[in-house]
Amino acid sequence: MNTLTLSRVAENQWHAIENDLVVGRGHASRRLDGRTFLSIDTWSDAVFDRLAAAMLADQPAPRYTVVDETDRDLTANWERAGFTRERRESEFVVPTELAPVDPPSGVVITTAAEAPLRELDRAIRAEVEATVGWQTMPAEVLPWQGGTRPLDPSKYTVAVRDGRYVGLVRVATRTRRPRIGLVAVLTAERRHGIARALLTHTLSGLHQAGFEAATAEVDETNTAALALFEGLGAQRTGGSLELISRPGRV
Amino acid sequence: MEGTVVECLRNANFRVELTNGHKVLAHISGKIRKNYIKILPEDRVLVELSPYDLNRGRIIFRYRT
Repeated sequence: MNTLTLSRVAENQWHAIENDLVVGRGHASRRLDGRTFLSIDTWSDAVFDRLAAAMLADQPAPRYTVVDETDRDLTANWERAGFTRERRESEFVVPTELAPVDPPSGVVITTAAEAPLRELDRAIRAEVEATVGWQTMPAEVLPWQGGTRPLDPSKYTVAVRDGRYVGLVRVATRTRRPRIGLVAVLTAERRHGIARALLTHTLSGLHQAGFEAATAEVDETNTAALALFEGLGAQRTGGSLELISRPGRV
Repeated sequence: MEGTVVECLRNANFRVELTNGHKVLAHISGKIRKNYIKILPEDRVLVELSPYDLNRGRIIFRYRT
């Protein structure tokens, strides 16, 4: 007779063991905004349910997870554990070979220096907190806890008006397909084409560096960002669902 | 086992050729998904094989290229 046992092997890790084999793994990670994201990898629904029950009993609500929008089996597993759909992100592939777009009059697109970049970062974060909040923001703008927030100017391209930074694009190029992590323009400077100019400038630079495309994720409720990327010829390649288990549910 | 992604399939699945030449159908691990790590054809990856079906696996690490 096979006996399934669960073992908490670290503060944030669980194993399901059957016949001395690890047949399931659970992991909990706390993001910078304080939210806890769970993941479970198993080969059977029964093992998933046992791991989920153990993890949920131990992790305070609300708890979150991310699933591919096409992965119905995994989504069903989490829904069986009491999770519901919170939001959806679309994934885009953005071509880098684009016709250049001039920035609006008086705005210059350039590389970033740390001090003014931090000032813009603080201003953008203050606007986010005062409006939509953090829940739909990419990881790059999540609150930082514990000391000075890391900020690498080499990853940023900025828009400058009268010596003041008014918009930014952050791109990570550590892999074969660069990822556009953040596009942000101060509220007072929006609807003038700054974001489009920033993106075309940045993408053209990636093209010259040999990258044919970049990726980006956009929350499905962010209509401005969707229009921006689709206007640049971005193709939707998939999406992910963020699921939540609220207090009082399991 | 180490392998190379040869094809991206529907439903977040990938065809991976292992170093021994065997091809498996693999999906990505929850930790990779949580961290928004993208898997592309030609990526070198580490695959954990299913103990129930050696033709199936799970991508648990993508090597930096």
